[in-house]
Amino acid sequence: MVRQIIFAISLLITIAVFSWTAGRIISYFRLTKPGYKVQNPGKRFLLMMKVAFGQTKIFRQPLTGLLHALVFWGFCIIIFGSIEMVIDGLSGSEKALKVLGPLHDFLMAAGDVFAVMVAVSVIVFLIRRIFMHIPRFEGTEMKRRSHRDANISLSLILLLMLSLIAMNTGYTGMKRLSGEEIAGVYPVSWFLSGLFPAGRTETFRIIHEISWWTHILLIFFFANYLPWSKHFHVFLSVPNVFLSRLEPRGKLSNMDSITREVRLMMDPETAFAATSPDTVPERFGVRDAEDVTWKNYFDSLSCTECGRCTSVCPANITGKMLSPRKVMMDLRARMKEKGPMMIRNGKDYNDNRSLVRDYISGEELWACTTCNACATECPVNIDQPSLIVDMRRYLVLEEASAPGELKAVFSNIENNGAPWQYSAEDRLNWSNGLDFKVPVMADLHAGNEKPEYLFWVGCAGAFDDRYKKVARAFATILNHLNVSYAVLGREETCTGDPARRAGNEMLFQMQALQVISLLRDYGVRRIITICPHCYNTFRNEYPDLGGNFEVISYLGFIRRHIDEGRLVPASGRADGRAVVTYHDPCYLGRANGLYDDPRIILQKLGNDIEEMGRNRSRALCCGAGGAQMFKEAEKGKKEIFIERTEEALRTGAPVIASACPFCMTMITDGLKYKNREDEIKNLDIAELVAQSLGY
Amino acid sequence: MKILVCISNVPDTTTKIRFTEGNTSVDTSGIQWVINPWDELSLTRALELRDDPSSGVKSVTVIHSGPASAEPVIRKALAIGADDAVRIDSPSGDAYSVAAGIAEVVRKEQYDIILCGVESSDYNGSMVGGMIAEFLEIPSVSGISELKAEGGNVTITRETDGGKEIVSVPLPFTGIVQKGIAKEPRIAAMRGIMMARSKQIRVYEPGPEEALTGIEVFEKPPARGACKFIDPDNPEQLIDLLQNEAKVI
Repeated sequence: MVRQIIFAISLLITIAVFSWTAGRIISYFRLTKPGYKVQNPGKRFLLMMKVAFGQTKIFRQPLTGLLHALVFWGFCIIIFGSIEMVIDGLSGSEKALKVLGPLHDFLMAAGDVFAVMVAVSVIVFLIRRIFMHIPRFEGTEMKRRSHRDANISLSLILLLMLSLIAMNTGYTGMKRLSGEEIAGVYPVSWFLSGLFPAGRTETFRIIHEISWWTHILLIFFFANYLPWSKHFHVFLSVPNVFLSRLEPRGKLSNMDSITREVRLMMDPETAFAATSPDTVPERFGVRDAEDVTWKNYFDSLSCTECGRCTSVCPANITGKMLSPRKVMMDLRARMKEKGPMMIRNGKDYNDNRSLVRDYISGEELWACTTCNACATECPVNIDQPSLIVDMRRYLVLEEASAPGELKAVFSNIENNGAPWQYSAEDRLNWSNGLDFKVPVMADLHAGNEKPEYLFWVGCAGAFDDRYKKVARAFATILNHLNVSYAVLGREETCTGDPARRAGNEMLFQMQALQVISLLRDYGVRRIITICPHCYNTFRNEYPDLGGNFEVISYLGFIRRHIDEGRLVPASGRADGRAVVTYHDPCYLGRANGLYDDPRIILQKLGNDIEEMGRNRSRALCCGAGGAQMFKEAEKGKKEIFIERTEEALRTGAPVIASACPFCMTMITDGLKYKNREDEIKNLDIAELVAQSLGY
Repeated sequence: MKILVCISNVPDTTTKIRFTEGNTSVDTSGIQWVINPWDELSLTRALELRDDPSSGVKSVTVIHSGPASAEPVIRKALAIGADDAVRIDSPSGDAYSVAAGIAEVVRKEQYDIILCGVESSDYNGSMVGGMIAEFLEIPSVSGISELKAEGGNVTITRETDGGKEIVSVPLPFTGIVQKGIAKEPRIAAMRGIMMARSKQIRVYEPGPEEALTGIEVFEKPPARGACKFIDPDNPEQLIDLLQNEAKVI
């Protein structure tokens, strides 16, 4: 009875402390802003089963992934034993769950075996952390505290497992000697207790009693230690995966407050009627902890600082200050600093510090290429890029602050509809010299014709000398196929992608609404893009603004026509099979999951693909996304495009195929930098297809 | 200190200029209008000074002389951060009458620094700044590449041929600025854009002076010929072309 009272008191204390902690954390969540609505529970459940319980993303690093998965699955099993211990502790029963029969046997056996596997894994983790130099565990954000925190948590887990094994050993030993029935099966512990045939029942009983209490009290302590450590992820990672954003990675959220402003501006008739002060948000973008959405904060609490994000970040790899892990840790730290003060002193509390600048510098924010490698790698589906862009949005929309080159890009897009200073009247110059006429939408419209496809050329296709050739190649393919299509010519303008990714949501939406209205006027239904950035914007971002079109990447289009036999490239080459390597553009690959179309096309053209070390969802960004194309790289040890070009050169392939104007520019520059531009060709897939058709 | 920044409404630099009415008038259809780049830079510098409490600059007003169709560009200046805006409702583009109109406003409203870009990128007249100073009988400093103000004292760096000149000047004065006065133009912040939408633009009647000049006819520069590429292994062809076609050697 005394035992039960002591147990009940410890349990009550545990629950009380935990509730208090949970209450505090919930009060921090109350400070945050609303984010997306959590819909689609079925889809979310499947995602949770796959990513959280299936540990699929953890397995992107197979060996440590396996060790982690063992720990995770071990916890899932062992928790049944812990529940049983709580029941036993409260009611004075012994192995209360044995009523479950064979299931109990199985759970006990699995827990017993897993305890050893978890212990071994944790020992390996501790060795890796303490004795091996793992680059991913280092970084400016990894203070001594972070390392200590990790080691304390791992040691606690190790103690939990050792006490569990000791408890089971004591249990099986005392039952074996007393001849009583053993509830459950304990393969490891049975073996261990069997090693001491001369042991006394009493000794085993004491071992059992001590380790039982040690184990359960450690669990109680651990449960209350976790929320104050980075290992809070033990509780939050599964719900965090369940709550993940389900949209394609390339999509950025729409700022509805800006949509209101842009609509007022474009339709001044309704302007003054609709402006009421309460529709204006107190802040555009994220400046401080209270500006983030509940999901951003959830992300930050779910982060266990594993550093997989930072280890694949192109900016970080090349020595820039940005570290996606640091962004998450900073948000968490800032909330811990400011949250309590805001709760005590009211929402207007100001300590003259902020997340942007005092924690995360502009230099870090402007280094992001929005390549989504971090979010793709994160085992618990944390979304770092959207928070980074939200902070850029604050800088641009509230402070009008951006790197000088980007300010020029904003002016250009606003004034001449392209990131570069070219006249819209020159938008069709790329087609000069083709031996067929590229149909223009306005002309067809005048003749009451409606083409099936709009071929969206994009600013690079129209103005970049190198990419004009790609626009020509693809138009040649369209012409070859006798497809009904048209281009917008001088009516085309920037989709707004670079502006949005550089934080200028206002300019993005002005462009977007203008384009959508133009395409609606022409009754456009299907759009083919050659630029992945335009593709992503049309496909994922315009629907939020009412622009619903069928958006087709030229790769999907070409592949379909090859599959259906309408496009017959010359397969096989006289000089045997050719070797190419393919660079995955981030906005086709990670952003939209288009990995296979380009590879299948290349193979159909008779190429063997020599993959780079980092390919498909692991492909390294060329360095130009997220408006980096138009600015100098932030300070670092190396240019990203050189890192990527070197990787491409290591394949030994004489042709580097790509499918994006920005990647093309970067890799061509890389080849020049490496003095290899004469021997190695950087070609777009459209060019390779046109070549194989004999053009 | 109060700064007045004169802004011109000019076609975006990528515009293909076309003429109508027998080449006597610019075809304005489809033109995207922007703040004259030099004026935009002087506005940027004026705003930087206003935002620095030690400069002594209290407010920045922009002024434009032209029809109401220029309002979007004036609002852009307000969105970037100008405190106040004035438009002189004059149809004339003639430097003399524009300068007279602006001088009239300065007399009424008393500004300490009047900034003009060195020229406007449309007509490139480079006259208004000097004329304003002349009308007002105040100093005029040209070629300004740096403008500093501290507690009401102004120091100016001028670009001269092959060097720099640092001058100080009593207030009020007219400053004619070069590129370099500000690193890059400001962009508008969201709240600026929202505020600019409802701000009043004060309108003045045309100034006292009639235009002295008028445009007879416009003519485009001859189109540039196509670029010829010559193989580096073929210097004879280069010499031949330079001698017989370009006739330069």
